[in-house]
Amino acid sequence: MPRWAMVIDLDKCTGCGACMAACKMENNVAIVDSKEAQAGRALFWMDMITTYEGEYPTVAAKRMPKPCFQCDNPPCTKVCPVRATYRNNEGLVAQIYHRCIGCRYCMAACPFTTKVFNWYEPQWLEGANKCFNPDVSVRAVGVVEKCSFCAHRLQHVKEVADLEKRPLQDGEYVPACSEICPADAISFGDLENKDSAVYKLSRSYRASRVMEDLGVEPKVYYLSKRVS
Amino acid sequence: MPKSARTRNLIILSSVGTVLVVLFIVVRLYAGRGVVQPIAYNHRVHIENAGMQCTDCHVHAKDMASATVPSLEVCQNCHSAEPVSKSPEELKVLKYVADKKEIPWIRIYEVPEHVYFSHRRHVIGGKLECEACHGNMNEQTQPVTTAFLPVTMENCMNCHRQRKVSNDCLACHR
Repeated sequence: MPRWAMVIDLDKCTGCGACMAACKMENNVAIVDSKEAQAGRALFWMDMITTYEGEYPTVAAKRMPKPCFQCDNPPCTKVCPVRATYRNNEGLVAQIYHRCIGCRYCMAACPFTTKVFNWYEPQWLEGANKCFNPDVSVRAVGVVEKCSFCAHRLQHVKEVADLEKRPLQDGEYVPACSEICPADAISFGDLENKDSAVYKLSRSYRASRVMEDLGVEPKVYYLSKRVS
Repeated sequence: MPKSARTRNLIILSSVGTVLVVLFIVVRLYAGRGVVQPIAYNHRVHIENAGMQCTDCHVHAKDMASATVPSLEVCQNCHSAEPVSKSPEELKVLKYVADKKEIPWIRIYEVPEHVYFSHRRHVIGGKLECEACHGNMNEQTQPVTTAFLPVTMENCMNCHRQRKVSNDCLACHR
């Protein structure tokens, strides 16, 4: 069984935000008006964490794209009372929107605050509701959503590979953020496949994971020479 | 509360309940009967007399997610100018063809928006016959108004269990 994982090279990342935009488009993530967004209710599956270092005039911005970490030992799935979120045998932490009752326990349990809640009816830019991605359902008000590693893309590539009677190739299944990244900072693949780019990068001396001491085993690795 | 008032309330409540239950049963029994297709299409005539295959009209059943309800263009291949039968229903088709108007077929099988279903995967990958879900259309002389196998998660999962295919939520839900 594969174990899908992502490696984000912070030394390559320019912080352009293309991954955030691609993710919003790919996954029909609703737009929240600016007042609500200020109150912390913005919906992002791929978020960008910015921290500033130093004093003016020598200020450096550290940018860190943050998807769902798809933990191998996820705390969110353990608190869900209706099994709307669970870890499947390929290591994807799924969120089944039509099962979610909106209790937000999982949001409280997630140490990385990657889950977001639909507080209001989704709003769209004019005409945007005519160009939804048909492969992803549009979430209703009152459910929790999060990055799925573009699991709908996996459904498609699996179907094609099954029909052609061959195993999945490395790099065949990639999420939208990884595909769009102009700096090639986001790699994606199978950790169980020792020839995959992700396997090699995850063993790099630069690799680390966020809050490793929690023991939730995130499957998103960050590469950086800078010691944070 | 006086006793008579309580009995009266009870009677009203129980009669309302009975009416609701009867209504529910009637609705379940007659579900789909109200569907009137624009043309009383006879599958049997097309399959047995004209010797057609399912994929002659539902052209994408083997190569796309949706099998598709045939467009006017498909009907036109056979029904263009002269009627090929004595059926009064065929005249309706010819009228649609003459007016260049699509026939407003009513779709019976519809998978909800949050489910990924691919005909290609089931027909080619799963080697399923059309009959498994749609019934024996050879015997269908009336237009289709109800689903042979209603599109419910229970039906999907039962078949997946029997055939030992993945019942993981993410295999179908999105």
